[in-house]
Amino acid sequence: MKKFINDPKDLTRELLEGFAIAHGDAIAIKSEKIVCRAKPKPANKVAIVTLGGAGHEPALSGFVGPGMLDYSVVGDIFAAPGPPKVLEALRLANRPAGILFVVLNHAGDVMSANMAMEMAAKEGIPVKMLLTHEDIAPGANAPAEDRRGLVGCIPLCKIAGAAAEVGKSLDEVYALAERFNKNMATLAVAMKTATHPGSGLAIFDLADDEMEIGMGQHGEAGTGPSKILTADQTAELMLSRLVVAVKAKAGDRLLLLINGSGATTLMEMYIVLRGCKKYLDAKGISIAAVRCGEFLTVQEMAGFQMCAAKLDDEMLACWTAPCNTPALTVA
Amino acid sequence: MPETIGYQQVCAMLNAAAGQIRKNHEMLSQLDSTVGDGDHGTTMLRAMEAVSKTVSENPASDLKALFSAIGWAVMSCDGGSTGPLLGSFFMGMSDGVAGRTELDYRGVVLVFDAGIAKLQRQSRAQVGDKTMMDAFLPALAALKSADSARGIKAALEEAAGAAVKGAEATRDMKARFGRARNLGDRVLGHADPGAVSVSLIFKGFSEGL
Repeated sequence: MKKFINDPKDLTRELLEGFAIAHGDAIAIKSEKIVCRAKPKPANKVAIVTLGGAGHEPALSGFVGPGMLDYSVVGDIFAAPGPPKVLEALRLANRPAGILFVVLNHAGDVMSANMAMEMAAKEGIPVKMLLTHEDIAPGANAPAEDRRGLVGCIPLCKIAGAAAEVGKSLDEVYALAERFNKNMATLAVAMKTATHPGSGLAIFDLADDEMEIGMGQHGEAGTGPSKILTADQTAELMLSRLVVAVKAKAGDRLLLLINGSGATTLMEMYIVLRGCKKYLDAKGISIAAVRCGEFLTVQEMAGFQMCAAKLDDEMLACWTAPCNTPALTVA
Repeated sequence: MPETIGYQQVCAMLNAAAGQIRKNHEMLSQLDSTVGDGDHGTTMLRAMEAVSKTVSENPASDLKALFSAIGWAVMSCDGGSTGPLLGSFFMGMSDGVAGRTELDYRGVVLVFDAGIAKLQRQSRAQVGDKTMMDAFLPALAALKSADSARGIKAALEEAAGAAVKGAEATRDMKARFGRARNLGDRVLGHADPGAVSVSLIFKGFSEGL
């Protein structure tokens, strides 16, 4: 393993300490593994809380800040935080306006979240849980529990965060977020493996001339390896499936996100994005919102996640509303 | 008078289970590197060290409080689904203790039954799905069907034997839950690390008594 780290058992604590130094003006660390805003949002507005393992930086804690998340509960590398820590965050976020709790569909995350929700209910904390599962690798119509939560949680939290910031009620914020959830789809592709920074082991194997569409953010198998395609071919292959999944047709407006997994260059992502635009132009579908960069990474994995969502006016207005977080700023 | 076990014996069982994991955690991580991300041994070690620590620090000789404190401590260990699953097993055992201070054979069965019932509220996995349930469920069945006249230790030994067999059987299974599910045929021929861990814990329980 070639990584600039110290003792692997200190990875999460040390990365959060560095994160707090880099962004001390925006965020603060509470009780070791809870990231919160440096300046809390008033309690008369809905709080947005999420959880997830470390090792995916800037996700998810990089999106804590005005206009997006209020609290992020961090686990160990690629591993969910335990229910007591999640409950602690829900207690910290507890407020009359309520909490939207965004959870990505991964076994450990869901288990921790469900147990924390059970305990929060006993304490009378007003919280609604929203599960993202927009991965279409197993098929757009596969059962929700088989579809993982990928990078789509980030635009979802951006949109929900904007609605919370202007004082929408928990029911309204939840309804908007759930509508976005139902209208988004993500597909991942991998070219080179990542190393688990704790164990030093590769998380999967791919031959030098292969790529795999559908590979998850922990090396979960996708639709099987294939020979490497060009940027245009890859863009078209992935986007054609996404467009069908979100039922986009001529005249529709899409949000398009190209999320690098860690080792794919911005150059490559721009070339892929260009391929996407060409494909959508031909279909008469417009790109109303776009981001290209690293939002949810998998160490030094080469590849990217492509997320598409069909936008309505309210979602678009929330997407363009201001936010100021370490990893995403809209002025 | 039927044979019973009390607080001290339960502590010895728990410590012996932790000892089994301490002895085997590297093997467990090795096993996990073929079907998962290679950290299962570390996660289990952290969870079972939390068990030992709670046993040594638990103030009163109260079985219900002991299991509940253990459950909470194990759930506080980050580690994907292992913490919540194992933690809820111990939390369930706490429910099963009810008001008892001594457990006879029937009491032991009730405690394990409650632990596994709580675990099943978190996971829908059954025997054959290549998870820790492949060790837990056969162990419980063996415990229940054991001859109570032969004593609690003999019943726990039968449970441990069934757990080992159950874990061994996961070699030929494809996973239907957790991360290994996404690896399809690649997991064939490798035992499930979670099931092996549970078999070690039961082995510890029977040795500790």
